[in-house]
Amino acid sequence: MKMIRLKKSLLSGSLLLLMVIQSLTAKTPALHPLFKLLDKNGQNVLVTGKALSTMNTCGTCHDTEFISSHSQHADVGLSTLDHIEAAEKNYSWDMGKGYFAAWNPISYRYYSPEEDSFPDLNQAEWIMSQGFRHVGGGPAAFDAEGIPLDQNESSQTWDWKKSGVVEMNCFLCHMPNPDNTARIESLEKGHFQWANTATLLRTGIVEKRGSKFSWNQTAFTKNGEVKHEYFTPSDPSNANCAQCHGLIFTAGDEKKGLTSCDWNTATRGEIIGPHLINRTGLNLKDKEKISRSWDVHAERAVKCVDCHPSSNNPIYYRDSEEHRLEHLIFDARRIDVVDYLYRPSHEFSKVPDEAEDAEIIAGMRTCDACHDPNTAHDWLPYKDAHFQKVSCESCHIPKMYGPAYEQIDWTVLTTEKKGSHDCRGAEGDPKNIKSLIYGFEPVLLPRQDSKGQMKLTPYNLVSSWYWVYGDPQMPVRLTDLEKAFFEGDRYRPDILEVFDADHDNHISETELRLDKPEKERRVKENLEALGLTKLSIQGDVQPFKINHDVTNGKWALRECTDCHGDQSRVSMPVELARYIPGGVLPTFTGSLDLEQMGDLTVSNEGVLNYQVDVEGNALYIFGLSRVRWIDWAGILIVIGTIFGIFIHSSMRVYSARLRQKHTPKIKQVYMYTFYDRLWHWIQVMAIFLLLITGLIIHRPEMFSWFSFPYMVQVHNVLGFILFANAFLAVFYHLVSGEIKQYIPQPRGFFDQAVMQASYYLKGIFRGDGHPFEKTPEKKLNPLQQITYFGLLNILLPLQIITGVLIWSAQTWPQFAERLGGLPVLGPVHSLLAWLFATFIVLHMYLTTTGHKPLDGIRAMIIGWDIVDENISPDQAKPDTQNKEHE
Amino acid sequence: MRDSNRTWLIGTSISLAIIIIPILVAIPGKTPPVDDPHSKLSVVNPHVDHSSLMNDSLTTGQEVTRACLVCHPDAGNQVRHTSHYTWESDSVYSPDHDRMVTLGKKNAINNFCISIESNWPACTACHAGYGWKDAEYDFSKDENVDCLVCHDLSGGYKKSKEGLPEKGVDLLAAAKSVGSPNRENCGGCHFDGGGGNAVKHGDLDESLKYPSEYIDVHMGRYDFQCITCHRSTDHKIRGRASSVSVGNLNKDNQVLCTDCHAEKPHSDMRLNEHTETVACQTCHIPSMARKEATKINWDWSTAGQDRPENAHQYLKIKGSFVYEKNHAPEYIWYNGTTKRYLKGDIMDPTITTPFNLPNGNIKDREAKIWPFKVHYGKQVYDTKYNYFLLPKTVGEGGFWTEFDWDLALRLGAENSGLAYSGKYNFAPTSFYWATSHMVAPKEEALRCIDCHSDAGRLDWQQLGFDGDPITHGSRRLAGGVK
Repeated sequence: MKMIRLKKSLLSGSLLLLMVIQSLTAKTPALHPLFKLLDKNGQNVLVTGKALSTMNTCGTCHDTEFISSHSQHADVGLSTLDHIEAAEKNYSWDMGKGYFAAWNPISYRYYSPEEDSFPDLNQAEWIMSQGFRHVGGGPAAFDAEGIPLDQNESSQTWDWKKSGVVEMNCFLCHMPNPDNTARIESLEKGHFQWANTATLLRTGIVEKRGSKFSWNQTAFTKNGEVKHEYFTPSDPSNANCAQCHGLIFTAGDEKKGLTSCDWNTATRGEIIGPHLINRTGLNLKDKEKISRSWDVHAERAVKCVDCHPSSNNPIYYRDSEEHRLEHLIFDARRIDVVDYLYRPSHEFSKVPDEAEDAEIIAGMRTCDACHDPNTAHDWLPYKDAHFQKVSCESCHIPKMYGPAYEQIDWTVLTTEKKGSHDCRGAEGDPKNIKSLIYGFEPVLLPRQDSKGQMKLTPYNLVSSWYWVYGDPQMPVRLTDLEKAFFEGDRYRPDILEVFDADHDNHISETELRLDKPEKERRVKENLEALGLTKLSIQGDVQPFKINHDVTNGKWALRECTDCHGDQSRVSMPVELARYIPGGVLPTFTGSLDLEQMGDLTVSNEGVLNYQVDVEGNALYIFGLSRVRWIDWAGILIVIGTIFGIFIHSSMRVYSARLRQKHTPKIKQVYMYTFYDRLWHWIQVMAIFLLLITGLIIHRPEMFSWFSFPYMVQVHNVLGFILFANAFLAVFYHLVSGEIKQYIPQPRGFFDQAVMQASYYLKGIFRGDGHPFEKTPEKKLNPLQQITYFGLLNILLPLQIITGVLIWSAQTWPQFAERLGGLPVLGPVHSLLAWLFATFIVLHMYLTTTGHKPLDGIRAMIIGWDIVDENISPDQAKPDTQNKEHE
Repeated sequence: MRDSNRTWLIGTSISLAIIIIPILVAIPGKTPPVDDPHSKLSVVNPHVDHSSLMNDSLTTGQEVTRACLVCHPDAGNQVRHTSHYTWESDSVYSPDHDRMVTLGKKNAINNFCISIESNWPACTACHAGYGWKDAEYDFSKDENVDCLVCHDLSGGYKKSKEGLPEKGVDLLAAAKSVGSPNRENCGGCHFDGGGGNAVKHGDLDESLKYPSEYIDVHMGRYDFQCITCHRSTDHKIRGRASSVSVGNLNKDNQVLCTDCHAEKPHSDMRLNEHTETVACQTCHIPSMARKEATKINWDWSTAGQDRPENAHQYLKIKGSFVYEKNHAPEYIWYNGTTKRYLKGDIMDPTITTPFNLPNGNIKDREAKIWPFKVHYGKQVYDTKYNYFLLPKTVGEGGFWTEFDWDLALRLGAENSGLAYSGKYNFAPTSFYWATSHMVAPKEEALRCIDCHSDAGRLDWQQLGFDGDPITHGSRRLAGGVK
């Protein structure tokens, strides 16, 4: 306690001093005070010449024990070792979570407790081979029980006293130019205690001759403190993070190249840099045209730690939504800056599905923590609907310009004694810097966000295959694979025999595949000879969510047809594997239910693809989604009608020729009032245009010369015109009483309908008169009545309702959701549209059944119709024979 | 029936109107762009073909000019009153000297070839006139105006000493070819400032004769000529070089980006806010001397030695140089005026003397952060009187023939009127050119990170900010402009 108080007063004292200095010089000073480098025993290294201890050195002022015990970066899953539920495991053999305790098919190697019968890596070997991406502390300093490794006497396999341990390496992240190469070299050689010292090699504080480190006296003050000009601790820059987290360019190193497809971009193809992509040194296809930056945040001076801050950083701290009182926007009671500097949590904010607990999520700056999309998307039709279903990243990360893994195959070993890797976004030899990189479009998968909303989100999918053995299953160790494939550095003759199809003593890339049973059998036999039992091949697909390489509006997806159309990226099959090792279809791992979301398909060439099932994920994307049978049925009905009309009209023409011409006595009747005609023609135009624009929206790829968003807007406006027109017409008919014309009279209606039908099927060819007189008071014959009754009471209202609901899904999605959402409303709307089209065709034809073909249309234009002078309903007799035809 | 025809028409128009008007009203059209620079360009009339108008055999420049004056009687008088001919300004008040001064190439001192005084014949090869060989030159004769240097489109016209046409130039062909000045006419002198291609300005060199859009977006992408922006009336060409201008700004004489572009042309508000503090050039000219290296340092003190020569490193007559390609400008507050060192001003040899230090600071509302090419020099001064001396370099007894500083300075003093004590030494100087040409395509403009980062181009503290304004706040917060 006393110690803590002392440290804190030291901290606040130096802060105060610094503030005074700052006000005197009016220049930003190096915030950090001078400090001594202490060794394991708390002595100045200048005196003892020993390796420095970061825990003691930084621990003079900061609570390093707190820091290293509050850091996922240090722990990497050590604390979860054997404390993990089966449901949380990605693989049944995982011993925990994280880089240390969970297996992954990318690095393939795994830590085995000393008691394992086929151990892969013991703890020291893990540090040596995997420590290059580990900051120290955690499994590099402690055993599973939390006892420091160098105090553990029981190890049979490693002399921890001699090697020392790797303490959490503060310098790796808190200095401008750490010597990571020298650090990794110390780790690989097993000189664990010197790794952190080696990190300082470039500063001139320490020098290395041979394998000896010596401290440079001139770098220290008289008091034994490191001089500012040699080393001033700093905030982590993007370059610090990049040492383990992949390719990050910083200002000035735009010409840096990339050996195509290595671990730097393996999982996501992410390259983060502030400068323009066309200034990169990468051998990138069509580079000169890509005048966007790698990452707009990096370009605009937003650093990694700005979005991934320490979870108790008082500046960034936000309570998570669940813990926030509804009325409280900001809680001012937060950790004091001195407390924070004393105990800065090194749990950094992460995205929800990767974060271990809710507190870490709280400070995470997701897109919506900084941006308000509403203000910048006025150009986007249906913007709220898009925001509900599409994550920001889906459009703002349109393309990855780095290559990423597509397929990892550990069922075979390459001459470098690694699994074979296929990359997406690059062609040619991945090791060659001249290989062409062309990048890839991320696959869009539905993912539940932190608020429970399913949104399309960009991912990379990596498929892997590997041998497993035993019960319970374990992945076959790399050393066993090596024995099964190699003698020394050459392939075993028995392997060469089955793999080398063209007998050139060399196994080519395409030969090195388990595509024949004898190859599989041979590898299996070799592994069995090593004592491994129950061998089988397993495969899996891992999703990697893509959040970086964000671009601004100019380069984001903004063409509607990128998603709305048959080339939609949502439904595009994504290649998972160029071949399927051992013919084993992969399972799916990770937090997404990929199995439910889509389907695996295998092409004739043996390529494995994955395709998202759009409608199955409660998505309805206009221009892409359609129910096949509805479209086919619709087309059939329309074509059938046209065909029927063709037969009918041919017979009419034919029969009219046979018949004697007689001119019935006719008279002109003022049939349609001005308003009748007006609402009719508005209705005609609206429906006709609605059908056309609707068809364009339905199949945009067939009408690519039309602007999709414009058609959507026109369709909406037309819909409302139709709605208003229908409403006014109903009002008119109700008020004027004309409505009764549309209501079939129950008495005798059936017989009359039959009579009318029989006229169309028979009488019309004989030249009979219309069975019912058309008068202004009774314009509609019984068939028209029943048709219009259906049309106006069922079809039109339904179409208007579904249309309005689809339109309103933008603002009030809850109404649409109640009726099954767009996946139900969309197909119903298209089915009704087909019926409308059918009606129009038939309706147009039947207008030609007057005295002369164009009389009907003429009447609807000028109002005056031509009717028989002396026809009356009684003259026509019902023809019972024709009942069957109905 | 005629009635119903009319009904038909009325009905159709009403129905159509009911359908079309809501569509047009509900769907917004395109908004006109904020920045529409092309609309501000002046229309250039085609030039009259002069090939049939020049029939006499023309043997001297003056004869050509006389032929021009027949039809353009005012032109000679107009040109004689422009700075291209007088090489000096009107008399203006210099607050730094508290007196009226005139300044121009005629009497200015710089840190390249130092001064034209004593060296007329060589320097006046770029004078828009004929025969200027000494201080006694008569500026009043119309026939001494050189029309061809600006209007020759044959490409064959060259000037030599005293501004006279070089021997062998086909003057008749040149006279027949005349038209509006193109980039080669202006570039003939302005690309070669400082004694050779790309030497002086950094943003003006021969790569601009046929530039790609990456060298200059205006000239490369849209084939602008110099006079597209440097518009002229009565042969007075707009433009104000910071090297030979003194006193207050005459805004009418300036060429500004905003002559064509909007004041706040960006779609991003944050960029538009920059325009209050940052000149357009600062971001849009990320580097100069894109193709040809430019001189950034000239040390006269090493001249006269017998050692290997190289036009870009050392010449016996001139001393040692440093050249740089893709040169990044220096960024300085600038309100359009400079603090000009005039001939005879007292200097301090222990510090670098800026000859035309840009005026402005963070509190100056008129000042913006501008990109400059700064040319550093080391040149001869009088150790007794503490002013820079004007040596005779060209011609008889000049330094370039005798390599004798004392002699050159004594001869120089005869013409300059500045007493020479007989003791000289060399002192550091600097010279500033606001960079305005070689505007890059917008995709190449500076990005946030180019300034707002640890490795950024701007030294915030030196500019008077508390720190990077992205975190410390703009100049308003920095206690400057309200």
